[in-house]
Amino acid sequence: MNTRYLPYLLILPSVLFLLLFFGWPVLSAFLLAFREGEGWGLGQFRRMAQDLYFQDALRNTLLLTAVIVPLQVALALGMALLLPRLGGGRDLFLYFWTIPLGISDLAAGIVWLAIFTERGYLNSLLHALGLLDTPTGWLTYEHPTALFLSVVAAEVWRATPLVLLILVAGLQLIPKELIEAAEVFGATPWVRFWRITLPLLKPSLQVALILRTVLAFEVFAVVVALGGRNLPVLAGEAYFWYADYQNPGVAAAYAVLILGISLAATFLYLKALRVREEVYG
Amino acid sequence: MGSIRVENVVKRFGKVEALKGVRLQVQDQEFLVLLGPSGCGKTTLLRIVAGLETPTQGEVYIGERRVTHLPPRLRGIAMVFQNYAIFPHLTVYENVAFGLRMKRRPEAAIRQKVREVAALLRIEELLERYPAQLSGGQRQRVAVARALAVEPEVLLMDEPLSNLDALLRLEMRAELKRLLKETRTTTLYVTHDQVEAMSLADRIAVMRQGEIVQLGTPTEIYHHPADTFVGGFIGNPPMNFLPVVAEGGQVVLDGLRLPSPAERGPLLLGIRAEDLEVFPEPVEGGFAARVLVVEPLGPHLQLTLEREGTTFRALADPGFAAAPGATLYLRPKEGRVRFFHPETGKAL
Amino acid sequence: MRVWPWLLALAFTLWVLLPIYLIALSAFSPREAVYAWPKAFLPGSLSLETLRFFFGVEGVWRATATSLVVAGLTVAFSLLLGAPAGYALARFPFPGRDAFRVLLILTRAFPIVVLALPLAVLFLRVGLYDTPLGVALVHTALTLPFAVLVSASLFLSIPKELEEAAWTLGCTRTQAFVKVVLPLALPGLAATAIFAFITSWNEVFAASVLTLQNKTLTAYLLTLLDESPLPFKFAGGFFLVVPALVFLFLVRRYLFTLWGISHR
Repeated sequence: MNTRYLPYLLILPSVLFLLLFFGWPVLSAFLLAFREGEGWGLGQFRRMAQDLYFQDALRNTLLLTAVIVPLQVALALGMALLLPRLGGGRDLFLYFWTIPLGISDLAAGIVWLAIFTERGYLNSLLHALGLLDTPTGWLTYEHPTALFLSVVAAEVWRATPLVLLILVAGLQLIPKELIEAAEVFGATPWVRFWRITLPLLKPSLQVALILRTVLAFEVFAVVVALGGRNLPVLAGEAYFWYADYQNPGVAAAYAVLILGISLAATFLYLKALRVREEVYG
Repeated sequence: MGSIRVENVVKRFGKVEALKGVRLQVQDQEFLVLLGPSGCGKTTLLRIVAGLETPTQGEVYIGERRVTHLPPRLRGIAMVFQNYAIFPHLTVYENVAFGLRMKRRPEAAIRQKVREVAALLRIEELLERYPAQLSGGQRQRVAVARALAVEPEVLLMDEPLSNLDALLRLEMRAELKRLLKETRTTTLYVTHDQVEAMSLADRIAVMRQGEIVQLGTPTEIYHHPADTFVGGFIGNPPMNFLPVVAEGGQVVLDGLRLPSPAERGPLLLGIRAEDLEVFPEPVEGGFAARVLVVEPLGPHLQLTLEREGTTFRALADPGFAAAPGATLYLRPKEGRVRFFHPETGKAL
Repeated sequence: MRVWPWLLALAFTLWVLLPIYLIALSAFSPREAVYAWPKAFLPGSLSLETLRFFFGVEGVWRATATSLVVAGLTVAFSLLLGAPAGYALARFPFPGRDAFRVLLILTRAFPIVVLALPLAVLFLRVGLYDTPLGVALVHTALTLPFAVLVSASLFLSIPKELEEAAWTLGCTRTQAFVKVVLPLALPGLAATAIFAFITSWNEVFAASVLTLQNKTLTAYLLTLLDESPLPFKFAGGFFLVVPALVFLFLVRRYLFTLWGISHR
């Protein structure tokens, strides 16, 4: 049977699709962002940088990522390591813990809005504990820290399961014998974790970090649902410039900026967590 | 007519030459076994006959038809796979009927044929089950039934017994032999198990590194191996090879004198363990060796002996008294000694 | 067995489930309960009033329908384009296979924000702007790499010999695929489909940027966020969460194939 061309025929549609819907837009985003009148220039970026919200948006996005991602990895790692100790309950717990996987960022924002809003469940709890008398709006411009923390809470809740799943899959790849061998040689649980589990988990950690960081730079709907534009973020600004100000150029500049920091972060992770082949040897 | 003819088939995978110009003719109704160590190309050859691989060069004929470039479905073959390849989403009945349905046979004919092969393979009770509910041996039977149901011109089997446990394998081996005698289907059978090959085959083709090194009946191959590879591969324990030197057209080992095929020079003397008679005292026409290991195997005693740095094996009666370190005397049975070239290993 | 792992596990579970309970509680409370102070943590009077109000708002049903159409198209595109490519990855060692894999993995480094904006401009020009088809195409760009990688691992788990057996029994390549491979891959492909569906159902940014009148539910809710009252938001949030719960239940067997493994 002549099958030499069959695989190419089979992948052709998806290759074309990806080129059209990834390759072209990325290219075109650059063209859009660097367009200035009839020529080329940094005009869009200048307008972006001079905007009132720009500095806050950049700072908030970076800060959110810096807080959320490590928190998620730490929590997910704890959960992943806890699972094997749960015996037969493992699958059930894993099922519960991964439920937020299917929940959109907008829905997650609204879910946490029910908790953090003025007359929400958090304030009701504080009231019940005698810590709060009257309803207080945390999600406002006057309480930037509270708003920030609310976004962190919602994002950590929504996206930790993804990290958990990647790490659990990674842990399953680590041969049990390695850890048992270390135990035989008298390594304490602490040493086993730092010297064996963690290094062998590096490939999975790398994947989880890259994925979560890129997604954290895009954080948008959660923030909008919780605080509108009270906590500006980059993706939100891109949206507002496009939808409200009808200015695709500046919006594209924001998009290019997000892409830039995403690629930079990816590169950094790949460098910092270099996975050597012999790890699996 | 269910003969197979393979002509000068070469198969390359990248730079690796898996088959180096193989010729083979399987007669109608013959049971031919391709035997060889793993990686010798026997499965590749079978898959080329099946149409699952295309030869780089050469031709394949089934009956009088040239099938080299036909897809498997047009070759009139059926195949039994090593892992059985039973369709897990279909019942046993549907598995067996699969090939018939593809041939668009009428439903009544299908039902009858399935019953018939199911009876032949004693799986009538299993027809409504799914493969997951079957044991390994039962799956094996289903796989064979599915292949026989289409009444192929040629049946191809790829290590069909290798996934069964030892006891079941013996049983299935005997059963296969009975079955294929009954159905008189031309069969090309791949295995690395020499006992299986010996017990089943009309003829055996021994393969090594992409070539057929010997083709013959089991008896021929066992008693007249074409080279030291075949002699060492077939038989358990393998054939013994003792380095000897010929002088004046004769080989002398202590009291043993044999006419040599070469006038002078080094040779390898090949003799099977069971063809050596063992004596505790010097004997006429015998040679001496030191006992290294004694293994009581039940029907006989297996001795590992050493002579001039070469170890070899001999079989003695179970009651024979031998201890490591002792010296024994061995005499080859009449007409059982073979000579081989010391470098090429070819029989002389 | 010690107790603390179980306590910790229960704490994590509570952390995951409590917010879902609270949004459900809000959605099923009457309006005045939503504004009550302090709020009760136990259901007092359950009512469908809030949900009824939500679905009574103009455009919600239409947006829901649009969301379903978009998600349906996304599923169809993802499978039709992705499954053949996955099959190629699983079955043929062709030159360029690794490059294709890298291309698929690379797509993850590109934020949707970058894709959506230029495509909005392009779609305006070619008449795809503000159509479910346009949104579905962008959503397919998100789900296709997953669909390819997941279906590749699915097809890889189906022994090649099954297909070969079908060929020797009289099937053409296509027949063998339809009669043997497809039935076996179906549950996994269904999981892939559900995954694509939920990704599309959940996506906010591209759907908002690419539409004006024909908004998906998420995009529609986003535009209404500013002016809508809390009960509306809570009912909407709850309505968005429900498919996620169903979805996770349906695909729980494939969790790792869908996310864990396909991320390496």
